Amino acid sequence: MKQRDDWHLTDILDYEHGRGDPFAAAVRATRMPMVITDPARDDNPIVFCNVAFQELTGYSRDEIIGRNCRFLQGPETDNATVARVRKAISAGHDIDVDLLNYRKDGTTFWNALYMSPVRDKGGVIRFFFASQLDVSDRVEAHNIISDQKTLIEREVERRTGDLLAALDAKTVLLHEVDHRVKNNLTMIGSLLRLQVRTIGDPAVASKLDSMLERVDALAVVHRQLYQSSDISRFDIGSFAENLISDVVGSSGRGDITLDVRAQPLSIDSANASALGLILNEILTNAVKHAFADGRSGNLSLLVDGGDDYGTIKICDDGPGMPSTARSKSIGTSLITRLARQARAEATWSNNAPGTCVTITFPKCETKT
Amino acid sequence: MNSTMNILIVEDEMLLAMDIEAMVEDSGHHVLAEATSLRDVRGLPDDLNPQLAFVDIHLADGSNGLDVCLYIRAHWPDALIVFVTANVSMIPTDFSGAHGAIAKPFSHAGVVNAINYLADGMFDPPPSIPRPASLIASPNLEPRWAQSAG
Repeated sequence: MKQRDDWHLTDILDYEHGRGDPFAAAVRATRMPMVITDPARDDNPIVFCNVAFQELTGYSRDEIIGRNCRFLQGPETDNATVARVRKAISAGHDIDVDLLNYRKDGTTFWNALYMSPVRDKGGVIRFFFASQLDVSDRVEAHNIISDQKTLIEREVERRTGDLLAALDAKTVLLHEVDHRVKNNLTMIGSLLRLQVRTIGDPAVASKLDSMLERVDALAVVHRQLYQSSDISRFDIGSFAENLISDVVGSSGRGDITLDVRAQPLSIDSANASALGLILNEILTNAVKHAFADGRSGNLSLLVDGGDDYGTIKICDDGPGMPSTARSKSIGTSLITRLARQARAEATWSNNAPGTCVTITFPKCETKT
Repeated sequence: MNSTMNILIVEDEMLLAMDIEAMVEDSGHHVLAEATSLRDVRGLPDDLNPQLAFVDIHLADGSNGLDVCLYIRAHWPDALIVFVTANVSMIPTDFSGAHGAIAKPFSHAGVVNAINYLADGMFDPPPSIPRPASLIASPNLEPRWAQSAG
């Protein structure tokens, strides 16, 4: 009982700060508001409070001593938090909570309350020791942040909704444009084909047929592009393989044998139309000139990919074409000019017999 | 051996219907009828019995090729059905029972090769020539050849 009474001793003796029992003096003088309660007395009243506590709450010592801590609570104090404090006291645990408390003048402050039991040698709780800290600034800052976060989240949600709506509108527009491109390409081909059928002059019909084949080649490029998962690259290897079987198949020339060694080869899709047209010129020329007048033969396609460059080599075993005749055709001019556009190079060589055309072109820069 | 197919064309774009008709006839086959909508198809005689139908997905009067496909299967179960569409992605994975698809924009070579392949398969299954890249096969195509051959 002696230890217990020491607290009161310092109270009664009214030592100046820094004198007497150094621990008691420290508690009395610290800027941290502190109280001690006595659970042995009825309603666990406050039996000690320091000056800082009086300054925090606005009450004088006489108004504090003998009262239960709950006199600091008010209408806005959270009951659930109070219940947690009560539960900790009855269980003999320490507890750490933020509680809204009221000063004598009715103003509120956020109290970071830390309360812990003080046990004697036998383990019996003799006192509860509580320290308070005015954390109104922290709680308010937290509330402001929380409010702002809610505001920002709401704003983000709104903007995301706007963006999604804009994206939907763009997607609809894109589908519409895509649909029109496909339909128009289909109709251009159909118009040309219907026109060809009405032309009696074989020379004119043949020129129109070449035109049609070019439009068809563009249509196939477009179709392969929109059906691929990656619109930025174009598989020229598969395209060449499909084109050669298309061109020879539709010519009805069962007497032309195909030797195809192709592999997938990605190019930048910006060059797809140019390279697609080049391949179309070479293949249709081969069928028309190398195997003219029902001459049978072999047409080969080799697709090969290096690190940076791909090559496509198309060879026939026809009679070969004099370079003078070649330089006059629109086909050759198309090949040369389009190659330049696609940063590709076209070279003609003698296949003895026949002709080989080799296209060298840059591969897609981004690797798969 | 009779190797002329009787073909139904369901396409609401007149130019394309004319073009397909010309390609069919140039390939030595016969166009039985043309329709632009589901209602048109329903109005066709029950004994039409087309062997092959080219069906666009987007049709006149707000109708669609998938419904036309179901109608054809119910009325002319022996017909081969090939969608001709710019909306290949709209075709369900089971193709509603159809046998294949040709994507628009189609090429002359692509359509003619597909017709040749289908005719070859129809009169002497399975087809002796490889399937052209222009003809997208549905899961129902191979079983069809096996069934016809058997």
